[in-house]
Amino acid sequence: MTSTTGHPANGLNDIVHQRVRLGILAIAHEARRVEFSYLRTHLELSAGNLSQHLGVLEKAGLIAIEKGYAGKRPCTWITITRAGSAALTEEIAQLKLLISQVEHTGTPPD
Amino acid sequence: MTTDSAFAGDDPHRLLSRIGELAHGVRRAQRATWYPLLVLAAVIFAAIPVERYGHYAATCRALPDARVCVAYSTAAFVYWPAALVLAYIAIAGFYLRTSRARGVGTRVRSYVIAGIALTVAVTCAALYAAHNPLAAEHDILGLDVAAAPAGLFPRLASPACAIGLALLVLARVERNRALLVFALGDLAIVLVPVTFGWVMTQPWFFLPHLVIDGTVLLLGSIGFALAQRPARRVAP
Repeated sequence: MTSTTGHPANGLNDIVHQRVRLGILAIAHEARRVEFSYLRTHLELSAGNLSQHLGVLEKAGLIAIEKGYAGKRPCTWITITRAGSAALTEEIAQLKLLISQVEHTGTPPD
Repeated sequence: MTTDSAFAGDDPHRLLSRIGELAHGVRRAQRATWYPLLVLAAVIFAAIPVERYGHYAATCRALPDARVCVAYSTAAFVYWPAALVLAYIAIAGFYLRTSRARGVGTRVRSYVIAGIALTVAVTCAALYAAHNPLAAEHDILGLDVAAAPAGLFPRLASPACAIGLALLVLARVERNRALLVFALGDLAIVLVPVTFGWVMTQPWFFLPHLVIDGTVLLLGSIGFALAQRPARRVAP
């Protein structure tokens, strides 16, 4: 899935390198624990679409999903795992590498 | 592996900037800076009657050619630790409730632990100083007390200083530059020897510092409440 050799674009993780999933990881990393409704509002997604992305991330072991209650209100909490934090850090590093390469060569990545 | 990879149109610049925006949004949603400032200002103002009407005691130490005495309020030794620990518990509760309502986690634990630890440390230091009056030539960990500005050490070991230092921790956990500047300003004010000429033998000698420290925190609370109002409105 991830290769760190050659062009920096090859080092991008297919699961993480997706706008919505990257957003989920970025929010979960900053918030430590985030509620489903917060993600839905701030990523401007439908519940079904968000659930799909969360499923992909959970299956990859990048987040943990916990269902419970806040008072009487049912809640779904998302927590980033250690692997998720590492994947996000790696993705950001690869993106920065891509940017610096583009700026140095003046050509966009393939 | 992924059915809808959105690489197209998502250049690295845009992705990084989006990550930054989302992280910033979370930070804003996690902040409730006005509340600790308000609670701590209330604790400081409530200390006024304790300092004024509490019992004062003195400890003296005989030196070869002089006698050094230190006077202290016994009620203050009970009031400050109890009030500050309760204040930090209230702050933790408020942050937990607020974060639950906003849908994000909170990082307040480090602040509360630091606040309580500093309260305990300052209380121990003040208790030690009250029972071991320092001679003019005495030094603490190599620092010459006599060379320091008058009254600096008692102010360093004061509850207001502990509050200011803990606010630096809150600024760090909230990644809040405005709060960092505010906390540094508050610490500077705490360490400035403002007495308006009132000496310890006068009944209200403690008043200038408490009123100034409390007012600074209260004004800070109002300022942060106004500044963070739009963030609270945006939060779900």
